[in-house]
Amino acid sequence: MADASLQGKLIEFKGASLAVMTAYVRETDAVRLADALHMMLGGMPDFFAGEPAILDFSQLGNSPDRVDWTAVLSLLRRYQLQPVGVRNLDEHLQEGARRAGLAVLRAESFSAERPVAAAQPRTPPPAPAPAPAPTLSPTPVEAAPQAPAAAPSDNGLAPTLVVDRPLRSGQQVYAKGGDLVLLAGMSPGSEIIADGSIHCYGPLRGRALAGARGDTSARIFSTNFGPELVSIAGVYRTFERGIPQTVAGRGAQVRLTGSDNLHTLEITPLQYD
Amino acid sequence: MARVIVITSGKGGVGKTTTSASISTGLALRGFKTAVIDFDVGLRNLDLIMGCERRVVYDLINVVNGEANLNQALIKDKHCDNLFILPASQTRDKDALTEEGVEKVLKDLEHLGFDYILCDSPAGIERGAVMALTFADEAIVVSNPEVSSVRDSDRILGILQSKSRRAIEGREPVKEHLLVTRYSPKRVEDGEMLSYKDVQELLRIPLIGVIPESDDVLQASNQGTPAIHLKDSDVATAYLDVVARFLDEDRPLRFVAYEKPGLLKRLFGGK
Repeated sequence: MADASLQGKLIEFKGASLAVMTAYVRETDAVRLADALHMMLGGMPDFFAGEPAILDFSQLGNSPDRVDWTAVLSLLRRYQLQPVGVRNLDEHLQEGARRAGLAVLRAESFSAERPVAAAQPRTPPPAPAPAPAPTLSPTPVEAAPQAPAAAPSDNGLAPTLVVDRPLRSGQQVYAKGGDLVLLAGMSPGSEIIADGSIHCYGPLRGRALAGARGDTSARIFSTNFGPELVSIAGVYRTFERGIPQTVAGRGAQVRLTGSDNLHTLEITPLQYD
Repeated sequence: MARVIVITSGKGGVGKTTTSASISTGLALRGFKTAVIDFDVGLRNLDLIMGCERRVVYDLINVVNGEANLNQALIKDKHCDNLFILPASQTRDKDALTEEGVEKVLKDLEHLGFDYILCDSPAGIERGAVMALTFADEAIVVSNPEVSSVRDSDRILGILQSKSRRAIEGREPVKEHLLVTRYSPKRVEDGEMLSYKDVQELLRIPLIGVIPESDDVLQASNQGTPAIHLKDSDVATAYLDVVARFLDEDRPLRFVAYEKPGLLKRLFGGK
């Protein structure tokens, strides 16, 4: 028998703030969006691990009459992204968004946006190991990849994720919001993803994806270069014809050059003796 | 304290059961009370390799389900007093294996005074293989000097590091050993086969031994005798070396260098 004094308290409403990711959606056609997502995320299911996101339509390339919300939302959910609201959406589309279960957010609801690490050019740390950071063993591939739970520091950077054991085939590590350091290399068939840069001491033999949220200044560094695939901010390259002689098995770095629509990956040897 | 050792590989057909039979025999011959358990439910073959297939009454699943106790299921090896075999079920499937059941069996074996418990893992990375490695203190990862075997061994190492109890509970990690089997120094010399050093460089775990390719292995399994019993066989010697190294004794690596046979041998049928 519930206590009389508790009757009104079966559910309580309090204010809370939530740091949430914004996804700038530039295309509403689900098919083209699916292609773009597949290219960027290499077909990794569960990439976002259930993270909530605001869909921002301020950068929409065209002005559609209607949006197939069911298709778009199910596409995003397939990558385990949880859209919770929309903003900067044309008025005639807002009713459809509401019916699809999304909150239509007003610009005033948002506090000043913190520049996410991705937006700022970040200089890579010097070659010796960066400052000590939480060390994590690679998580099993069945579980969603985790990043350290430590709160981001004031400038919006997350601590560097350091993996101190060899990464084995089938394992996957994701450094959310920061850099990733591998101290013992990775095997073919494994996968490393970082929102920032990747620093691999030891053989780089699997798939390495840096700048996963679009940071075009992210780089990939390795002391022994031999990957299956490298990608920076979604621009990727495989090595069917073998690794170029100048960098195979040696110290090398991968960076993105060129401007907005003409990015290419440049792989150069590192001289550090 | 009983030491649980899993013999695993990922890839099938590389020599796990052959190795389980020989190493458990080797340890028993050294005086340790040893049990070897077949985790390949539904496709059992440890009992064939050990030559006790006609003495199987109860099996691992019977014990897990409480239908028989360990003493009824354990089969005493015909060659070796200290060695006992717990066969797998042939009629059930691996869903009958439960983690609690396996844990209880291992605890009961410890109470019976066993020094070493070897778990012969099935191939693959599914339930049977994961059950076999869950409670391991040490692992012998068997790999052929061949690319797909190495890749699968790497995969099973990753699973060992994430799904074993030691990993989940954050205790000291499972001690890993690499055993390269079916090695042919001539083919390595000819550039057809990976060398044991290549395999070790790719897998980056300590090497416990190299077993040469040999017709003796087939002969041994047909006879129902673990290969380590075959006197004067290179395979037997190599397994004895592995057991010695496992017990922290130094043994130089044998059977890894190719010696070109002399002219006469080549003329009259040497390999």
